[in-house]
Amino acid sequence: MQGEPTTDASGSPAASHVRSVQRRRVGAPVAFYGATAFLVVSIVFLLPRAMPGDPLLARVDSSDTLFVIDDEGRDRFRAYYGLDEPLLAQYRNYLGSIARGDLGWSIGRSAPVRELIAAHLPWTLLLVGTALALSALIGFFAGIAAAWRRGRAGDRLLLVTLTGTRAMPEYVLGTLLLILLAVVVPAFPLAGARTPFAVHESAVAAVIDVAYHLVLPATALTLGLLGGKFLLVRNTAISALGQDYMELARAKGLPERLLKYRHAGRNALLPFLTVLGIQTGFAVGGAVFVETIFGYPGMGTLILRALDERDYPVLEGSFLVLAGCVLLVNLAVDLTYGRLDPRARAS
Amino acid sequence: MSAVAARLRGRERRAGAFRGGPALWLGAGVIAAFALVALAAPALRPYGVHAIAGDQLSAPSRAHLLGTNAVGQDLLSQMLSGTRSSLLVALLAGGGTLLVGTLVGAVAGWLGGLTDALLMRVVDVFLVVPRIPLVIVIAAYAGSSLATVSAIIALTSWPAGARVVRSQVLSLRGRAHLRAAVGFGARTLYVLRRHIVPELGLILAAGFVAAAERAIVLEAGLAFLGLGDPTRKSWGSIMRDALDFEFLFFTDAWAWWLLSPVAALAALLLGLAFVGVGLERHISPRVARHAGGAA
Repeated sequence: MQGEPTTDASGSPAASHVRSVQRRRVGAPVAFYGATAFLVVSIVFLLPRAMPGDPLLARVDSSDTLFVIDDEGRDRFRAYYGLDEPLLAQYRNYLGSIARGDLGWSIGRSAPVRELIAAHLPWTLLLVGTALALSALIGFFAGIAAAWRRGRAGDRLLLVTLTGTRAMPEYVLGTLLLILLAVVVPAFPLAGARTPFAVHESAVAAVIDVAYHLVLPATALTLGLLGGKFLLVRNTAISALGQDYMELARAKGLPERLLKYRHAGRNALLPFLTVLGIQTGFAVGGAVFVETIFGYPGMGTLILRALDERDYPVLEGSFLVLAGCVLLVNLAVDLTYGRLDPRARAS
Repeated sequence: MSAVAARLRGRERRAGAFRGGPALWLGAGVIAAFALVALAAPALRPYGVHAIAGDQLSAPSRAHLLGTNAVGQDLLSQMLSGTRSSLLVALLAGGGTLLVGTLVGAVAGWLGGLTDALLMRVVDVFLVVPRIPLVIVIAAYAGSSLATVSAIIALTSWPAGARVVRSQVLSLRGRAHLRAAVGFGARTLYVLRRHIVPELGLILAAGFVAAAERAIVLEAGLAFLGLGDPTRKSWGSIMRDALDFEFLFFTDAWAWWLLSPVAALAALLLGLAFVGVGLERHISPRVARHAGGAA
């Protein structure tokens, strides 16, 4: 979904992003992602302060049940929350606590935000990791296969289907899968990540149970991520097909498999890697919706409940952690990129 | 594409030679149908959006064409209201996204240098920060009226379009008539308005379609998470109501309650995707021919 920039091989945003990434050395990505992380943290600090209102409004408003009648009492509240300090000092305190890994206290559940996230994040990582890996594998091989048979029935079918799923948001794909494979044909569980209260005889049985619950959410997310990658690989491979070196390789009598993966596939690998990095962000967003539909106990479920309870510390912490994960993946992609691309290595 | 070819193409377009293929017209038809429904919604709506109009969970019937939900609200009325929300957001947020994206892309491409480098770094930042968690946090603070949500979408979605516009402007920049205009003392804004934006015609149209698609997906998604406009109904909030109902899958109600908004979203988004494919094929016929009508 979301029209990620992957439509063609030459003039697309993905390709220009690839080129702009190429120009950077190893130190530059670290600086860029560091600065971005700092920006993300600062946005979270500024956002509530830019909004109208005051966290202590209820203490000042005489019609509210939380009203504090004496000035001194109100000042104590202000000092307790550190709101009497100048903005810059508040910012310093905030940065300090982030650096210590302190993400605040959940209002809704009365627990440290860090612990809540630690309990939910692994499920999201499992879901997003599975979907990214599956969509990368399927997208890459299907893209090359389709490029090889371009214009024929199989290629057209893939093209139309995946252009269609690409236009669908994950919550539509997820709902359809849920209805189809958990309600109409009850082949998979409706919700959850594990059978509740089940005691498994062995570790293998427990893993199978987790995998069984993962099938539908991971399929929904994979479908959402597949279209963009497929189109990118297919179009890059097609433009490689017309090149002279392909002609030469064919004339040399190289086997079809080598032509496909060594020559055409390898050229698609670099832009593919960039898109994989960018798609991590989409995948995290898609996971929020998919988890909501399947009652999967990851960050999406945490965010949904936090939204219901207006539990701002949890929302902010979730955003910070998810953004941090995505930035790390993109940094890794950028660093790998420099190593994979011989042109970048040469410069 | 040379300047002559560009002029020829422009003439072709004026002569009505625009052919987007059947996909484009099919998609345009779907969108037009939804637009008509949205315009006529107040007249078509049999009941109030929040009014309790009948029995709980009644199947589609003559009185309730799409059935009712768990509190007995008429789903056809809610769906019609949702159509309005979706199309309104498509216009507002899609238009806003296009406006900001075009402005930033054109300024960056035209001025070049430090401005360009700076603006493109901002675009890169938006590309790597996950949008949905960001939008959720902003909407949780800023509120979720339709106008606010549209503004949030526009302010976080413009970078994709800005990239495309920038690369187009870069390729236009060296053209003789633009150099002449600058030589005669034309200022940046004048050049952008008079020369560059008109040349971008179809690319901007495709950009708007893509932005509208994303806006509809995001608005319904936010409403699905409970960040919808409380004063109106959205397809996303209908889905949320349905999935929040504990016994949804123990009754048949999902068939009309949950499937209606899903089907409507799918139809509208496919319509937009078709139009996007048709436009893109027209913009870069080379790619389309190569790709056998891809993208």
